[in-house]
Formats: sequence, C-alpha cells, structure tokens
Amino acid sequence: MANLIELRNIFKIYGEGLESEVRALDGVSLTIRQGEFVAIVGQSGSGKSTMMNVLGCLDIPTRGDYLLAGTDVRELTDKELSRIRNKEIGFIFQQYNLIQTLTVLENVELPLIYQGIKADDRYELALEALDRVGLSKRVKHKPTEMSGGQQQRVAIARAIATKPPIIMADEPTGALDSRTGHEVLEFLQQLNREGTTVILITHDNGIAATARRCVRLTDGKIVEDKEQEVDWF
Amino acid sequence: MNIRQAVKMAWKSILGKKGRSMLTMLGVIIGIAAVMTIVSVMSGYAAKTMEQFSAMGSNKITVNIYSYVYTEDENGNWVPAGKDYFPDLYAYCKSIPQYIVGITPEAYASVNVVYGTKNSANFEWGWDDATNQMTGQYPPDVYYVSDQYSACNNLTITKGRDLGELDVERYNQVCVLGSQAAEVFFGSADPTGKVLQLNGQNFEVVGVYAPRLTGSDAQNSTIDNFILLPYTARRLLGGDRIENFTVKARDGVSTTEVATRIRGFLNGLIDQSTGDSYVSPDDRWQQSMNEQMGMISLVLGGIAAISLLVGGIGIMNIMLVTVTERTREIGIRRAIGAQRSSIVTQFLIEAAMLCGIGGIIGISIGTLGCYVAGNLLFHMTIYPSASVTAGALGFSVLLGLIFGSYPAIKASKLQPVEALRAE
Repeated sequence: MANLIELRNIFKIYGEGLESEVRALDGVSLTIRQGEFVAIVGQSGSGKSTMMNVLGCLDIPTRGDYLLAGTDVRELTDKELSRIRNKEIGFIFQQYNLIQTLTVLENVELPLIYQGIKADDRYELALEALDRVGLSKRVKHKPTEMSGGQQQRVAIARAIATKPPIIMADEPTGALDSRTGHEVLEFLQQLNREGTTVILITHDNGIAATARRCVRLTDGKIVEDKEQEVDWF
Repeated sequence: MNIRQAVKMAWKSILGKKGRSMLTMLGVIIGIAAVMTIVSVMSGYAAKTMEQFSAMGSNKITVNIYSYVYTEDENGNWVPAGKDYFPDLYAYCKSIPQYIVGITPEAYASVNVVYGTKNSANFEWGWDDATNQMTGQYPPDVYYVSDQYSACNNLTITKGRDLGELDVERYNQVCVLGSQAAEVFFGSADPTGKVLQLNGQNFEVVGVYAPRLTGSDAQNSTIDNFILLPYTARRLLGGDRIENFTVKARDGVSTTEVATRIRGFLNGLIDQSTGDSYVSPDDRWQQSMNEQMGMISLVLGGIAAISLLVGGIGIMNIMLVTVTERTREIGIRRAIGAQRSSIVTQFLIEAAMLCGIGGIIGISIGTLGCYVAGNLLFHMTIYPSASVTAGALGFSVLLGLIFGSYPAIKASKLQPVEALRAE
C-alpha cells in the first residue's frame, strides 16, 4: 500500500532557545500506509496530542517534513489546510467537541456545509452518517440532551459524514464508560475494515492493544513501533 | 459556506441571547431613531415651507423705496420728502411685460372690518394643543394693493371680478376677499355686491378669490384670510406712504436680471439727496432659509451620527466578547474544515444582522418620533421619506459590517489548536 502519511524528522518546539524550551516532538519520523490502524500511545506529556495536531494539520511543526499523500503540508496555505481537514480527515475528540447551540443534524451537516454541498444532498449524507451510528431518530435533539456515548456517536457521524480516507481519534473513549467505549472502538475497527486509515491516540495500553500497529511516544520521541496481534479487552 | 447558511447561523446566535442582543442593539436603535427623526422633520418642514412659498407665488422681487428726509406737510404731519415714485415704477414695469407679470404694493392697512354683527375687533383665536388646530377666528389681514396683486400671488377669481386699474385711479371704495375671509363674514352666501365697513367707510365686495391651499394644509394656515383694497384707499383709511413693493417676474426669467433692470431704473429716477431704493430677489431669502435649515440639519445630524458611532463601538465590543466566548466553537469549525473566510463571513453577518435588526427597530421608533416631533414643533404631520428609510436601513447594516470586521477578523486569526484548547 502507498504511504499515506510520512513524517520526516519532525520537531515541535515551544519557546525555542529559551531555558524553558519544551520539545513536544523531538525528531519524530513515522510512515503510515493507507488502510492501517495505528495507535499512538504515550503518557500525558509524551507529545501524543501534539502529534495528533500535527498529523491533523491543526498545527504546523517547527521543523521537519510532513508529506500527506505526497504533498508537503508545510507549503500549503490556510485555505488548502482547511480543505484537507474538511475532506481528508475526520476528527473524533475526547470531549466530543459538538457545537451545543446546533442540533445533532446541524452538527453532522457542518463539515458538509463547509464543503459547499447543496442542502438536499447534505441532509441525505448527514442522515446516512447518523444512521450508521444508530442515531437517525434523534436528529432534532441538542447535544446537551444526550448521553456521553450518544454525543460521541454524533461526533463520529460528523467525522464520517464527508467519507474521509483518514479518521483521527484523540482519546475517543476517555470520557465514556467501558461498554460504550468498546462500541466506539468496534466502530473504528469496522471503519478500518472498510478501508479507512484510523489513527488512534491514547494513553491506555489496553486500548492501544486493539490496534494492529502500536507506536509508543515518550518525551517526544518514538521509543517503540511494533505490529501486534489485535487484543480485545 | 454560503450567505444563507451564515444568515441562519447568525439568526440562531442572536435569538440564543435575546437580552444581550437587545442591549447591544440599543445604541444603534437610538442612533438610527434620532437620525431618522431629525432628518425627516427638518426636510419635511423645509418642504412644507417651500410649498407655502410656491402657493404665494415664486419668482418674486422685493422692492423698497424709502426716504431718509422727512418734511412737514400742510396738516403738520411729518411725511417723507420727495415724491411717491410708485406710479413711475408701476408704469415702467407695465412697459416690460416680457419680463414682468405684475407689480403691487405690499402694505398692511390697519383697519377694523365690520359686516352686520361681525366685527374683526372682537375676533378671538388660539391654538388647541390637543387637536393641534387653530381655534376661534383670526382677523383677516387687509392689504393695500394694485390691480396686479392677484397676478403676483397666484390668485384667481371665483366670484365677481378682480380689482382693476380704474379702481385704483378713481379711488373706488371696493374690495376683493380671500376665500377664508369671505367665509368668515358671509359663510356660504355670495359676498359680491355686499358692503363691508372698513373703519366706518363703506367698501363694496366686488369679487372673491379661489383658495390657494385646500384640505389639511389649509386648516392651520391664514394664507387665504385677507381683504384687498386698491392702494389709493389709503387716502381715506390712512397709513404711511407705502415703501414696500413686490414685483413678480415671468416664469423662466432670471429674477436677478429683472432686479438689475429695476435697480437701474430706480437709480435714475430717485433723487438721491432725499431717498434711495433696495431691490432684492426673493429666492435669495429662500436660499438663505435653505442654507440655515441645512446648517441646523448638519449640526443635529452630526450629533446623531456620533450616537451612531457610539452604538457601532458597542456592537464591536459585544462582538469581541462573543468571539472570546465562542473560541472553542471557532476551533471546532476550523478543525472540521471552516476556512478563515467562512469564520469572517459568519461573524460579519452576525454583526450586520444585529445592526440591521436594530436599524429596523430604530426606523419604527424614528417614524413615530417624526410624527410626534412634527406635531409638537411645527404643528404638521411628517413621515420619513422612502429614501431616508432605505438609507437608514442600509447605513445600519453598513455600520455592522464596519464595526463587525475587527472582531470577525480577530476570530478568523485564531489558530485551530489554540482555539480547541479554550474552555
């Protein structure tokens, strides 16, 4: 399979040159192929969230090259980065990050709006995504009227509404009980089986064990990168 | 993201915080209402004044012929030295009909008018603030005029005949009534042939003029409440030598040019050792009145504009707060693909809508303000013109766009990562 993501000697340094300099990413090189299921695991402060931000084009590395599908991300304009976040990547966050003033349907429609899709098609696509997560009956509700698990399913529906080739999930089960967390992970597996590249960021070794490949970060450096048997908890 | 989506989002956000939105709009509401009221009342008043001018007839030239030397006559009264130049001026004006429609003295005759039991000395009048109308009866103005007064003042006869040159020459004791004066003394009866007593002298009514103002315009006007006498009646009824005259130029003829001709004629006529003349086109007075109105409008409008500026700054302030409060939302939107321009559009539209709604409320209040202020200040009902209304709405939206741009740009400059981290 082709290299979808290629990090070459990536640094993310805060306060460079100062005594208080922090190297969140310290010379990271990593290649992720299309269709992989990768867990990036590390303790808090290991740099995994910075990793996710860089991978998700939310943040620009201080140094190093990031090739996404062969394109050097550092050379892209804000508009092009926005387009990549919109079309190529679906984000799932620990805190769901739904907009509270919008309904479930409107939240899922949002990335489609930014894509410029017409209202009718948008409704169809959003409903299809909500149907996949089993929430097509609750489209008029506000996120605050739902349980955490349901909110995360809405967030997943929003992430998959544009049918992106990459899903990035940052501690997607962190705020959920183990049963609903399990459902979320199972859903990510399902997406991966359908061909989506999934990058899962977690501090939990048990959750990392659900991925076929596990990349361990410590102090901004990759200390382990191994293929593993998928282990269900 | 298209505008319709942005409008929908902005509408939700405004409705989501009704109380705050209302307070934010208050500055714009007050500003727009003030501007609307001031501009409309001033322009309405100017328009009504112009209407009255043109009802009396435009293209007029005022002529003063005065004496600065007085002599004692045979009765021991002090009278202006030198001769009365009016007949010469009258003849001159008649000789250039291609320029001049007519010439007439402008002089009040201080006389008491009696017909039957009606005596102008007993008339009482006032103003009813509740109905905003004149009450009682204002006594008619009595003027000494030439036979050309009607031509100078857009008057047409409906009954009987107008004053003639012979009435002047022969000292005829006749008069013609304005429509209101006719109604006051004769009601609906035909006044022609009836005899009025002016200071005890008999004057026969020979004609009645048609009203110049009708309907509500006429209600509070005394423009048609007058009695005209041939100016030679002064011999019988008394009064100083007439010094003020009105010349009416033909339509399309420059009043300045006619004034120059008259000035030239009078300079050659008047003995400069005893008197002089002053000739001035009336539209100059109209012009200066217009300038004054413009000045007042400018000053008041400026004050109102400052209040709008303050309102705009209020909008900017609240939009900045909104951006801070919604930093996380901005982060989410950026993460799922919103471009900077989409964020700018969203907040700009929200500011423009806030101001636009404020503008609409301000226009409603301003319309009411026009009605109230027009009635209180000028006793007339004034409504804002369509162009003022459209302008006010457009301006309020523009205000939102101008003052919303800084917060909107600030929102779009937020880094997605930083914004997502916000609580």
